[in-house]
Amino acid sequence: MIAFTLNGQQVEFAGDPETPLLWVVRDTFKLKGSKFGCGAGLCGACTMHLNGKAIKTCVLPVTVAAGKTVTTIEGLAGDHGLHPLQTAWITHNVPQCGYCQSGQIMAAAALLEETPTPSSVDIDRALSGNICRCGCYPRIKAAVLAASNSEAGAGDDEPALFYDATGQGGQA
Amino acid sequence: MTTLSRRRFLKTSAQASGGLIVAIHLPGCAFGGALPIDVADDGFVPNAFLQITQHNEIIFYCPSDEMGQGIRTGLATVIGEELDVHPASMTVVSAGSHEDYNNPEYAMQLTGGSNAVRAFYLPLRQIGADTRALILQAAAQDLGIPTSQLTTRNATVIAGDRHYPYGDFLVTASSLPLPENTTLKNSRDFQFIGQEITRVDAREKATGEAIFGIDIDVPDQVAAVVVRPPVAGATVTSFDPTAALASSGVLQVVEISSGIAVVADSYWQASRAAKRLQVTWNNPALSTVSSDSMRADLTAALYDGDDAVTDDTGDIDSALTSGAPPPQVIMHSAEYFAPLLAHAPMEPVNATLRLRNGEADLWTGVQAIGAAQGLIERITGYPRENIRVHNQYLGGGFGRRASLAHIIEVTEIALAVNKPVQLVWSREDDIRHGLYRPASLMQLSAAVDDTGRISGWRAKRAGGNLTPDYMRNSLPALMPNLPEFVLDGLTAATDYWLSRWSIDGSSVEGLHETYDLPTRQISHVTVDHGLPLTFWRSVGHSYTGFAVESMMDELAEAADIDPVVFRLKQLESKPRMYEVVAKAGELLTAMSVPEGHFLGFAAHSSFATDVAQIAEVSVTDNLIKVHRVTCVVNCGTAVNPDIIRAQLEGSVMFALTATLHGKIDLAEGAIVQSNFHDYPILRMDEAPDVDVFIMPSDEKPTGIGEPGVPPLAPAVANAVYRACGQRLRELPLRLA
Repeated sequence: MIAFTLNGQQVEFAGDPETPLLWVVRDTFKLKGSKFGCGAGLCGACTMHLNGKAIKTCVLPVTVAAGKTVTTIEGLAGDHGLHPLQTAWITHNVPQCGYCQSGQIMAAAALLEETPTPSSVDIDRALSGNICRCGCYPRIKAAVLAASNSEAGAGDDEPALFYDATGQGGQA
Repeated sequence: MTTLSRRRFLKTSAQASGGLIVAIHLPGCAFGGALPIDVADDGFVPNAFLQITQHNEIIFYCPSDEMGQGIRTGLATVIGEELDVHPASMTVVSAGSHEDYNNPEYAMQLTGGSNAVRAFYLPLRQIGADTRALILQAAAQDLGIPTSQLTTRNATVIAGDRHYPYGDFLVTASSLPLPENTTLKNSRDFQFIGQEITRVDAREKATGEAIFGIDIDVPDQVAAVVVRPPVAGATVTSFDPTAALASSGVLQVVEISSGIAVVADSYWQASRAAKRLQVTWNNPALSTVSSDSMRADLTAALYDGDDAVTDDTGDIDSALTSGAPPPQVIMHSAEYFAPLLAHAPMEPVNATLRLRNGEADLWTGVQAIGAAQGLIERITGYPRENIRVHNQYLGGGFGRRASLAHIIEVTEIALAVNKPVQLVWSREDDIRHGLYRPASLMQLSAAVDDTGRISGWRAKRAGGNLTPDYMRNSLPALMPNLPEFVLDGLTAATDYWLSRWSIDGSSVEGLHETYDLPTRQISHVTVDHGLPLTFWRSVGHSYTGFAVESMMDELAEAADIDPVVFRLKQLESKPRMYEVVAKAGELLTAMSVPEGHFLGFAAHSSFATDVAQIAEVSVTDNLIKVHRVTCVVNCGTAVNPDIIRAQLEGSVMFALTATLHGKIDLAEGAIVQSNFHDYPILRMDEAPDVDVFIMPSDEKPTGIGEPGVPPLAPAVANAVYRACGQRLRELPLRLA
């Protein structure tokens, strides 16, 4: 029996202790927001927080979580609504297919916990373990900067060129 | 290896470019019957696309599949414009399988070829306008006020200072005939089209609530994993299930047409047991093929094979004769290569099927739901109306999810296992057992005259064709009742036709459409190795764009003309692309780049959309780094400029993966790569900034999901040449 805290709830898992945490969360506890992408810790779609740190869970045996705190995308929003990153994700129209986004947001949330005002390089370092095949990277970075206290977040996320509905086109 | 071709000249010109060119118009394909809509007790369904409830919920049944391209938002905007309902106020869901949802250009339910906004733009506006007119007529009758004194705004009818939800008038509306041919809005009155409306799926994709096929969890569901042959086309000679059956959680081991299925309580148990399965396979012809031998075959075919000519205009032989009299001043010839590629969508393909009491429910995420329904009909023999397809969000498509091998597999497994089955492909399955972008070898030869215009253009491509595999896979689904031997005959005839008597348009698309080429010849040699091939984002343009746009820079340099000016000289009869290239040239001229950074230019027309790109690149220690890409696009009316920008950003990243990393290899017929460690995808730290300039237009919208892909590789290659003098003519780009 492996006991751990999942999104604030005490849970127990009685199955095979080698089962990766991802599959325990998805199959046993029916939280489907964390995704299976590679099964080898290479793409980050399965990223959760283990004691507050971002971790890839598709190859992580559930035993590692014993007695610890696991947070998934479903547990990220607080009592007062969405996490600032989630709000930024929406206002920046970040997702395309959306499959990797839970993992991206969880990796970004762990970054902001440690580094509230990350630089562009900090974001590269923290998020380069998370693949987005749709190529949402520029928007992911813009949303992380906007959600952070970083001064770079203010106004830095506007594209340099914009669509001009007046019919002239133009440069910002 | 078979080279099935001999030189012959066809009177017809090549089919129009655009990827999914195979619209199959055959009787008996479309499924009519009752609409696959759950009508609420108080719901009113005026047509296949809308349901309005008395609580004024407006449900839009989106006929195209959402794989990230933003089509639910785009089409909700289009229908909402005329219906006067903001997309954010609608509930947008995936339509079920029914002929009313057929893509107007394909006459079937298929999402691909960047055509959904283009094809549905007028039909959905008409349906929105007709439905709004119906509501107005009902309101006029119920309120006793003439329609001339009524107006609408965001799902309410306005009479003076009174606002009535559309839902108030459903009883009367349901007794009236749906008006037809209601006048559409003038574009200057658009309220939603042209606005940067937030994606309707943004919130659920930021909270983890969005449901993909893999997230389906029906009661008593079991999990299946299939062990497939290492070499495509091989079949099982023997297998020993003992060790797999002894593995914990395993319920059954079943032989199916594609391999051996291991069924267990959970995916992880099934995948662990699958590794313990002992299977021996036979050796199909493909097992003698390696990447090197494939390349050698392409070279032999390109130079010694009999090519089929699809477009032969003017006297190309004279135009390209060396030492021809003036005005020819430049002659140049070069060879370009692009490798096999996999799609690698983030969500591995999967499907969940429940067969119960002669009824089937399929939950999956595919680009062709009607075909999925047809396959289940064919395999189970269930009547079509008893088969429901619940299409979910697609975790990436890129062409991969137009192929349905996993639907055949899950149906065969479900018939053998008396429970709902969820089949999941592992990433290794995805990389090794899918369908691939064909490898292509192209030779381009051109002459330039003393005015800087291309006076002769010959382009020849050797490689596999997509259409035979598409037909082989689609015909059984589209004609479920045709006997196997007739299908075999039809597919054999298709293979024969395309390799001997015609040219697969998607094999040569992009070689001759963008520019004025008054004297030209386009030809093709089919080389079929037996590896399954399919559409890959931008299809033929993904390799022809690289060849043509690299060649354009080479010719410009040889003619000593600025590359943008050189392209403009070849665009005198193509005003739309002329303006795109001119605008991009203007932006390029104004750019200042840091020391050590170099700019490369490329432009390409595909899917009726014109795109130019400028790549800012540096080369340090043999490492190519792309810092910024500037895109100029004309895709007609910009339905949602922010989604257009997102598609170009994504196209740049997708194409940059192929430019810097993408390569699938074969060894003894088996795919060498297996997961993201050896089939790397671009990551955040390699991602360039992307700027997008959208040309203002009132024309009908055109495609945006794919046209941003083709110009990227040549723009980078052209920049690399400027940076270090190396002209790289093979993808992925590798410095010497």
